[in-house]
Amino acid sequence: MLKKLKDKAKELLKNKQVDLFIGYKRAADKISAAPGFITQEEQADSLIWDAYCVYNLASYLMEFPGKKKAIMVKPCDARAIIVLLQENQIKREELFIIGLECSGVIDQKRGLAFDEKCKNCQLPASGLYDLFIEDKNKKDKPAKPDDFDEYESIRKSEAKSLVQRLKFWEEEFSRCIRCYACRQVCPMCYCPKCVAEQTMPAWFSKAAGLNGNFSWNVTRAIHLAGRCVGCGECERACPVGIPLREINKKIEKDIKELFNYETGLNIEQKPLLSSFDKSDPDEWIK
Amino acid sequence: MIRIFKKEEFNKAVVSWLGEFQVIGPKRIGNKGLFYEPIEAMEDLYLGPGITVEPMKKFFLIPSEYLNSSSVPEKNKRLIVGANPCEARGICLLDKVFDSEYKDKFYIDNRQRTTIVGLSCIAADEHCFCTSLGGDPTDTRGMDALLFDQQDNFVVEIITEKGSQLFGALGKELEADEKKEWQKNKAKKKGLLKKKINAPGSLGHIFENEYWKEVSAGCLSCGICTYLCPTCHCFDLVDDERKKLRCYDSCAFSDFTLETSGHNPRPTKKERYRQRVFHKFDYFKTNFGENLCVGCGRCIRSCPVKIDISQVIANAPI
Repeated sequence: MLKKLKDKAKELLKNKQVDLFIGYKRAADKISAAPGFITQEEQADSLIWDAYCVYNLASYLMEFPGKKKAIMVKPCDARAIIVLLQENQIKREELFIIGLECSGVIDQKRGLAFDEKCKNCQLPASGLYDLFIEDKNKKDKPAKPDDFDEYESIRKSEAKSLVQRLKFWEEEFSRCIRCYACRQVCPMCYCPKCVAEQTMPAWFSKAAGLNGNFSWNVTRAIHLAGRCVGCGECERACPVGIPLREINKKIEKDIKELFNYETGLNIEQKPLLSSFDKSDPDEWIK
Repeated sequence: MIRIFKKEEFNKAVVSWLGEFQVIGPKRIGNKGLFYEPIEAMEDLYLGPGITVEPMKKFFLIPSEYLNSSSVPEKNKRLIVGANPCEARGICLLDKVFDSEYKDKFYIDNRQRTTIVGLSCIAADEHCFCTSLGGDPTDTRGMDALLFDQQDNFVVEIITEKGSQLFGALGKELEADEKKEWQKNKAKKKGLLKKKINAPGSLGHIFENEYWKEVSAGCLSCGICTYLCPTCHCFDLVDDERKKLRCYDSCAFSDFTLETSGHNPRPTKKERYRQRVFHKFDYFKTNFGENLCVGCGRCIRSCPVKIDISQVIANAPI
């Protein structure tokens, strides 16, 4: 599998089909993976592919407009590429997408063999990849129990009172240091000037106090409504362990229930917030 | 002065200090890791191997504070227990900035009202590299007193007057053989460090090198490395509801050097990441004679894309 990948990378760079290959390389700790940016054929041997390749490399795509890029993606990362294409942020003709069959990635921070997101991984529509590399030694993913409910934690939280929920999130957000790693790592956060950086007017306080922290985290989550692909990078990057995915998952669940919409699974689909349907549950839209 | 006492005696002492001081120390928060938190009961205080996610810098250089005279925090006495030696060294470096030629009243107030009781490292992980930068797991610089974990006992080295007032007559002085044992154990601690790198002398001549582009390629431009650094101290001044707010800022942010005209002298990650490395291993040394890094490894541990500053400086093409 790795050989196939390296050969393809060499071929693409040699034939100048791409200017840049965005993949994974081994990190300095010799265990973890790190994003790798390859422009020379001979560098292709540094590419790796294993359960440490957690990053969603799609978040780098917008850094290189006008360049032809090849990118390694896990099926879950591909959902982010679909949304970026739907939102006209990247050009399909500049991309060579290499899908990799994935047996799930690890959660290094919590020391888990499988990331939470891998328990309910959904493959996007086929046809997106220019090349899909299958894994002959594919390991079985953790079995999905019949009664698996991906929104179990959300339902539990919904059952709580508003006051209890507020208390929970106040406690979580009190730790936010406003490093904006959640924003920077997110493939969907690409505003040229983030609302958090605007000063005229300043929409919310720069102070890392509860008011500003609440405004920031809620604004971020709402801006991702119908756009979040659930890659979980925000939560993985958060140095203080705020369960950021839970907020986006709640929105994801609502959208699924209200509009039967799932993000980033079908390239033909219109973005949720720019589509109109007479069967929308709200009366006013008719 | 060096004294020895049973751990239970120390625990009792901590409880007795709760009345006089606001006691702060490492506390385990769920699966999030260790955080410096106010300690209300002895069970909260974690004095074991490991390192907190955030450094104790935040108690001296407050992440967000209003610089109005009316907002000077209540001058209660604070006691930080369980700080790692590398962090206390970090505070010594911050002193050079905020309590030397320029006196920062807020910082100095916080320093004066705080007593720091450290704990010699029990373990080091693969990211620690303090010994490469002149540190040591038993370093007492910046400490008022430093505890040393020795089976059922703590040996404490009392460094300052504040430390001496705090420990008073707790425990007893070490006898000759106890002192020998302690010194032997202490000497072993250096061996905890698995990583040893050579810090560069100066970097000026490789300022324009493409190396900086290469090492910063994966950088996300988030503020983790700077906010979690025990020595990074850049801040921003903003008007917040008609008050002047000082809050942390980061050279990794794209708008850090953005000028009103729209010009940005550090337009890409290359210039921004290079700035971080140069500030730590070149400019600060020129200005204050030391590297602005204590090798705690926080920026490496928490970097979402595994950028490793120890390797960046070790492999710099000097």
